[in-house]
Amino acid sequence: MSVTPATSSHTSQPLGSAFILKKALISALVALVLFSLMIGIRTEAGNQGGLIYWTRFGDLATMVGVVFGGSIIVELLRQWFGPVETDKVVPKPVRAAMSFVGHWLAPALLAFALFVPVIFYHQRYILDLAILVLTYVMLGWGLNVVVGLAGLLDLGYVAFYAVGAYSYALLATNFGLSFWVCLPLAGILASFWGVLLGFPVLRLRGDYLAIVTLAFGEIIRLVITNWQSLTGGPNGVSGIPRPTLFGIPLDNSDDGLAAKLGIEFSPTHRLVFLFYLILAMALLTNWVTIRLRRLPIGRAWEALREDEVACRALGINTTTTKLTAFATGAMFGGFAGAFFATRQGFISPESFTFQESALVLAIVVLGGMGSQLGVALAALAMIGGFELFRGFDQYRMLVFGMAMVILMIWRPRGLVGHRAPTVYLERSEAISSDLVKEGHG
Amino acid sequence: MSAATTTIPLLAVRGLRAAYGKIEALKGVDVEINPGEIVALIGANGAGKSTLMMTIFGRPRARAGRIEYDGRDITGAPTHEIARMRIAQSPEGRRIFPRMSVAENLQMGADATETSEAEREAGLERVFALFPRLKERIAQRGGTLSGGEQQMLAIGRALMSRPRLLMLDEPSLGLAPLIAKQIFEAIRTLNRQDGLTVLIVEQNANHALKLANRGYVMVNGLITLAGTGAELLQRPEIRSAYLEGGRH
Repeated sequence: MSVTPATSSHTSQPLGSAFILKKALISALVALVLFSLMIGIRTEAGNQGGLIYWTRFGDLATMVGVVFGGSIIVELLRQWFGPVETDKVVPKPVRAAMSFVGHWLAPALLAFALFVPVIFYHQRYILDLAILVLTYVMLGWGLNVVVGLAGLLDLGYVAFYAVGAYSYALLATNFGLSFWVCLPLAGILASFWGVLLGFPVLRLRGDYLAIVTLAFGEIIRLVITNWQSLTGGPNGVSGIPRPTLFGIPLDNSDDGLAAKLGIEFSPTHRLVFLFYLILAMALLTNWVTIRLRRLPIGRAWEALREDEVACRALGINTTTTKLTAFATGAMFGGFAGAFFATRQGFISPESFTFQESALVLAIVVLGGMGSQLGVALAALAMIGGFELFRGFDQYRMLVFGMAMVILMIWRPRGLVGHRAPTVYLERSEAISSDLVKEGHG
Repeated sequence: MSAATTTIPLLAVRGLRAAYGKIEALKGVDVEINPGEIVALIGANGAGKSTLMMTIFGRPRARAGRIEYDGRDITGAPTHEIARMRIAQSPEGRRIFPRMSVAENLQMGADATETSEAEREAGLERVFALFPRLKERIAQRGGTLSGGEQQMLAIGRALMSRPRLLMLDEPSLGLAPLIAKQIFEAIRTLNRQDGLTVLIVEQNANHALKLANRGYVMVNGLITLAGTGAELLQRPEIRSAYLEGGRH
């Protein structure tokens, strides 16, 4: 209720149930007028060329009913989850439930994630999907460092994903290095490219930065496509070795994990292993990001997003701050890329198109820039939802476009737009009354 | 003026020139600030006051001339390095970090300079003693503060690096007279109690000159007048140009 009295008397008035009902009735009426001719009466050319028609009042009633009910739901949702500025008529129990959910959502999700392979052990499709979702969660968290924290709009994030993937693929196929040796190398190489991208764009901001990073993503992809002798060009790299559990392969050979444990081999073992691998990598990304946010460097990233001039005036070296943001984000992208390569066993430039960058960016923006939980939820919704709507086929993109537009209208800061402060006073200090009084001059 | 001739100035600007592209904003400026002084720089819009402050901070770069701080030549040094030499700045328009909390804003002030945890604590205490209102707002986001509180935060943030020289660009800009008075009072306290040297850039000439030991008047990129605050306040040309609404 932070609105001024003058405006609140206006805005709080129409938010009652009468208002919702009125709005729904009007919508239903409009629907009735529109649909009575479109749906209510059906005309067709008869056998003799004459016009025949018949009525479909049942369908009409259903449509109007849907509009009426839908309008009530939409209005309720708008008032409960709508923009932060508007007054909300959320009932107390609902609000309490929402804060309860908000508090326990992240731990519950994590616990659920830990048990996914147990619950869905026999559903290979779901396991595959969960691995995919987690890959995007990790990519989202990585990009979140650059876009969400440091505020540097990066449209070419897929470049680092590609660098990581090709680093592992080429090192493993050419030199026979194992996944665990290549993983840090992929991260280092990707962050090296992150710094390389960082240098020319140090002076750029906003739109200009976005364009250059977009071009960078395309350059990397085109180089990979055309450097046939190294990368295999459009044919990609195949036969990328699968990861091992500290040297123990997960296959049905004699020294495979199944044989060593004395259990029957199943290809699902590897899926479960991959699942926990990406889960651990994603959680590592999350943990590092949270730790960094509490350190001066993370604070400097956020300050850089807010005001670059003020940062410089406070003695922050904006050059190194930007470069470390690019390097850190790119490193996580590289890790994810290496994982992608080992999961697929085959990579080609087609996997690293601009669409991937856009998807990851959409996840970050929809999730709420800088919010770790929001990004995870958005990745789940975007990737999981995308699969869920597979039945809609060509309408899938339409549904998604609409969902994104609606979300951005209602929650312009993303699903979880709240930013938790990183500095707290150690002691909960009581403020003495004489201090409080002084302030109200 | 007698102090100026005997002590080594903390900051000395000599023949400083700076330009934005082809437009020359500073045309050979000489300014000296002695330790423990409050120096006011007054002048009309576009006289080059803010440019002088920013050029001391390395951006825009000086085209000619010399800036010496504590006997060291800092002309052409990068901004962040200058800021680490315990010169603090509260830039024009306050420029606090709107989405970060008051506590985080203050921490930002101490992040770049090597400050120990104890020094940070002491710094916070000092800022809260000076501006108790910031303590009430400690967890609030910077952007939700009132203009006066934001100015307090900007000054508080600058103080967190334990500066020897504090440069303030238009601290009274857009503030209610009463709040502006509080801010000026706080600057006076800082100067008297901690011996902090202050350079204050102001359009509010009356307030600034009353507060300052010495003042400089800037017109079109040049210093045209210099003297003690009281002297300048008495000058008829100052009175007509800056104190009486520009009446002729």
